Order: sequence, then structure tokens, then C-alpha cells
Amino acid sequence: MIRAARRYAPFALAGLHAVTQYRSTIVLSAITAAAATALQVFLWREVYVGGSAPAGLPFVHLTSYIVLAQILGLLHTNRIDELIAGEVYRGDIAVSLVRPVNYALSCLAVNLPTAAVSAVLAGVPVLAGFSLFASLPVPTAANLALFAVAVLLSVALAFQINFLVGLAAFVTTNTWGIRTIKNALVAFLAGQVIPLALFPADVVTLLRLLPFQGLIDSPLRLLLGGYGDWADAGRILAVQAGWVVLLTGVMSLAWRRSLRKVEVLGG
Amino acid sequence: MIVAEHVSKHFKRHRREPGLRGSLRTMFSSQYDLVRAVDDVSFEVPAGVKIAYIGANGAGKSTTIKLLTGIMRPTTGQVRVDGLDPHRRRVEVAHRIGVVFGQRSQLWWDLPVLDSFRVLRHIYEVPRAVYDRNMRLFRDRLDLGALGNTPVRQLSLGQRMRAEIAASLLHDPAVLFLDEPTIGLDLVLKQAVRDLINHVNAELGTTVMLTSHDIGDITGICDQALVVDRGAIVHQGTMRELLRSVDTRAVTFEYAAGSVTEAEALQIIAAELPDVRAIPAESGRIRVEYPVERWSARQVIAVLLNRFDLTDVLVPDADLETLLRRIYAGSPAEPVSVGDGA
Repeated sequence: MIRAARRYAPFALAGLHAVTQYRSTIVLSAITAAAATALQVFLWREVYVGGSAPAGLPFVHLTSYIVLAQILGLLHTNRIDELIAGEVYRGDIAVSLVRPVNYALSCLAVNLPTAAVSAVLAGVPVLAGFSLFASLPVPTAANLALFAVAVLLSVALAFQINFLVGLAAFVTTNTWGIRTIKNALVAFLAGQVIPLALFPADVVTLLRLLPFQGLIDSPLRLLLGGYGDWADAGRILAVQAGWVVLLTGVMSLAWRRSLRKVEVLGG
Repeated sequence: MIVAEHVSKHFKRHRREPGLRGSLRTMFSSQYDLVRAVDDVSFEVPAGVKIAYIGANGAGKSTTIKLLTGIMRPTTGQVRVDGLDPHRRRVEVAHRIGVVFGQRSQLWWDLPVLDSFRVLRHIYEVPRAVYDRNMRLFRDRLDLGALGNTPVRQLSLGQRMRAEIAASLLHDPAVLFLDEPTIGLDLVLKQAVRDLINHVNAELGTTVMLTSHDIGDITGICDQALVVDRGAIVHQGTMRELLRSVDTRAVTFEYAAGSVTEAEALQIIAAELPDVRAIPAESGRIRVEYPVERWSARQVIAVLLNRFDLTDVLVPDADLETLLRRIYAGSPAEPVSVGDGA
């Protein structure tokens, strides 16, 4: 374990080093997150004022949900799909493949600290800013603990989904289109655009079986107390964890298949 | 150390037609061309050997290197590096090999050079003593210390290549693959790189496989040659054997001015040495090209000594460049004006 950490830590440091070179990106993502959050908060306020509050998400939690969904979104925006697609397109994948490391883990090591740093640096000011304007309810200690576990699983899921999308580059070389569709679709299915609780009951049941809800919906339900009893909370985590395990298997299969397709001609 | 058994690598390449109309048409077609980058190639490289992998552009050199380094797997056949299948046991093999791709960087673009080496040290789990010994060697031989804290992206090509070569040797690999390693280096640095590779080979018994179009790299580093043409091996053996396969050699001489005219000299040679080509070279010299199965250098020189008042004779080594040019072109090469002993 320590050996693994020592071997992959340099990738993480290299990733962080790169972030510090592009500080303006963090400032811009903070501004974007703040603007998007403000827009959504005002929009949903109008919806709630106009009619009766939809079931499943009390109004007091709505602002918290929107703010935190944005911050989680930042934590999930790893560039792994872009990274893999770029390496395949330029042929630099050849260099990555002659290193004695697991490719997926090295991608994770490069991107994870980067995502965490940008989530904290952009997220904390946004959260602080909104808590000044709106009274955000303070979560219970138990919910906070459940949330912490769910966030870790959500980060794993975000990495896995992006890794798999990146592997598409081995087949299509150019993945810009796929990545754009993925970004829109994942944000929608995760509950980042519209809280899943506001969908019709049948649709919610279905969406909550998919891996994408594990990104935003699961952690925030646990944090905001949107679950029944302890067994229900356990089920939410189990679905997330189940997908992490399943996708790990899929990744390993897909990676092996992708390697067969490596064609780096010239150079 | 390196074994290839009936290795082939075929690619399917989407057939594209030129022009906009062609591009549109190919969007709806699914025709492929089969590219045989490597075709039924077998060879074996013993440990400790420095072998040049020689072939024209597009002959399948880079593809073979990628098969041997585990980046790609062969369509058919088997490769083994240090007894392991480099594709299936990629990570294990990666520990035992060093690779330099002349046109790609294995360093971290945003990191200073020395930080890149610290990163590599942990990735390859290089023991402290080995790391210190090698860094000292690189400082002495490649002046690596001078690159210090410059981020890799700000290095010149020559500086970067030095760092790349050092990076490939940091973990004492058993096999070193060099794909065009001296691109962008000046003459002094080229020599420094060759010396370093020879030093490492002599000290650690590192097996070296080199592809290069630089004749100096080939003759300065390698003792064996593997010549590949259109995906297949056409020659494997020592450098000496390769040079011996040259079927025409040349002697250039100069004679005392005024003793005979050039036309007379050419006539004399034609009469005494049938099947030989005599060509006037620059500054009054004459170049005599003789087929090696008919004449020996000794016989040719004997005739020249006998018939001319010689002031200078030049008997260059078999010329690798001429030989390679012939192999690359697939046809007898034009004679070069003066053999320079390369």
C-alpha cells in the first residue's frame, strides 16, 4: 500500500504542479459555479412560489441542494476522458504504456488531487457566499458522516464513467462529440440539472438504479436527510458501492479490449 | 534477450479518397486497406548485444519496437523480452526496459528536469544508490546538471533529448530501445550519447536495440545489424558481415602530374582490370570501383603501383551509407564520389 502510494504520488504531484500553473482556471470555475447556482436558485424559487412544493424536496433544502450539487459537480469534473482521448489522438499513449504502472491508477492519481483542489478553492467561497444570503440548514453529524462516505463513492463513479468515455478514443480517435453528449446526459441523470426528487415516482425509481444518481443525488439525499430509516440509507450506499464494483470490472475488461486496438503508426 | 517468432502486425486502414467529394463518399463506405507493417519476422538478439535495426522509412521499424515494448500486440506470432510476453506482462517488462522515442517525450511537460527524474525514481522504484550513481553519470557525461530547474516544455530539442536518454537509463534497464535517439543533437552531444550508451553496455551488459538513420549512431554504437525491408528481415548478423555483403568496393588514387593523361590512365585500367569501372574524381584523382568477387584490393593496388607513378592511394572501408542507400532504394545505388571511410 505504501509502495503503491509512493509510486503513484509523483503523478499526483505532477498533476498539482500543473494546476498551480493554470490558476486562472480555478478562479473562472468558481465564478461559473457561483453564477450557475444563483441562476438555478432564483429559477426554483419561482417554481416553488408559483405552486405547491413538490414532494420529496422541502423548500428549505432546495438552496442547499443546488449549491452543493454545483460543488460536487466541480469535484467530479476530472479531465480523465480528455486526457485519455488526447493521448490516443497524439499517440503519446505509447509513452504511458512503457511505464511500469497501472494506467487507470496513474490517471486517477493525476486527476484526483486536481479535482479536489479546484472543488475546495472554488467550492468554499461559493458555499460561504450563499450561506450569507440564504439560511442553509445545518446537517446532523450522522448525515454528515453518511455524506462523507457517499462523496468518496461519487468521486470513484465520476472517475470510472470518464475513464470509460475516454477509452472510446481507442475506437473513434476523436471523442469531442461523445464527451459533449456525456457531460449533458450525466448532469441530467445525476440530478445536477433538476433534483431527481422532482421527477415522477416511476422515473425516480428507475433513475435511482442507474450509476449516475450516485454522483449527486445519493450524497445529497444522505446529507439533507432525504431517506427513510437507517436501512434506507444503507441501501443508497449499497447501490453506489455496487456500481463502483461493477464498473471496476467493466473498466478492466474495456481496458484490455482497448489495448488490442492500439495503433500508433509513425513515430 | 529479445526473441521474435514469425511476428506479423497488420493494420486495417480506412480507405480514403482525395478531395471533398472523396471524403464525403468515404463517410458512407467501409472499405479497408490491409497494411502489413511487419510481415512474418523472426529474429533473436542475445543479451549484451548492441544491434542496429535498419530499414527505410515505413519499413516497419517503429511498429516492431512497439511490439517489443508491449505497446501493441502482434496480429500473429510471438515476441519475448527477457523471457516475458511484453504485451501480456506489460508492467513487469516495463521495469526491465528503457525506451527513447525520438519524437515523443516521457518527461513531465510542466515539471523541471530534475523533478521529472525524482518522479521516475519512485515510479521505477530505483534504489537510492543506483539513483545517485546514475545521476552522477548523467551529470558527467551529458551535463544534465545544467538543465536544473528549467521546465521540460522550455528546453531546446537538444537539451530535451539529453534528458530523455538519461531518463530511459535511470532504472538500469536490461534492454534499451532507442528510436532515433540523437535527433536534434550537435556532433559533440551525439558523441556523448554514443559514449554513454557504450559505457552502460560495457558496465551493465545492457542489451541495446537502435533504430536510426544516422550512420554515425549505427557504426558508433552497434556491433550487430538487423536489416528490415518492406516488413521482412533481409539481413541479420554482425556489422562486419553486413559490410562484407557489399559487392563493389573502390580504390581512389592520385598520380604524378604529367606522367600520363587522364584518358590514357582510364584506358590502362580498362585493359589491365576487366569488369572494373574507372571514374575521374575531383582534383585529378581516379576512382576505381571493382567487384569484390572478381578482384581483391591487393590485386587492384598491385596493378596501380605497377603502371602509375602513384602519389596517393585511398582504400576506404566498405561504405555503409552506400549499402544502406541500396537497401532502402531496393536497387543498386549510384556510386558516390569519394568514400570517406564511414
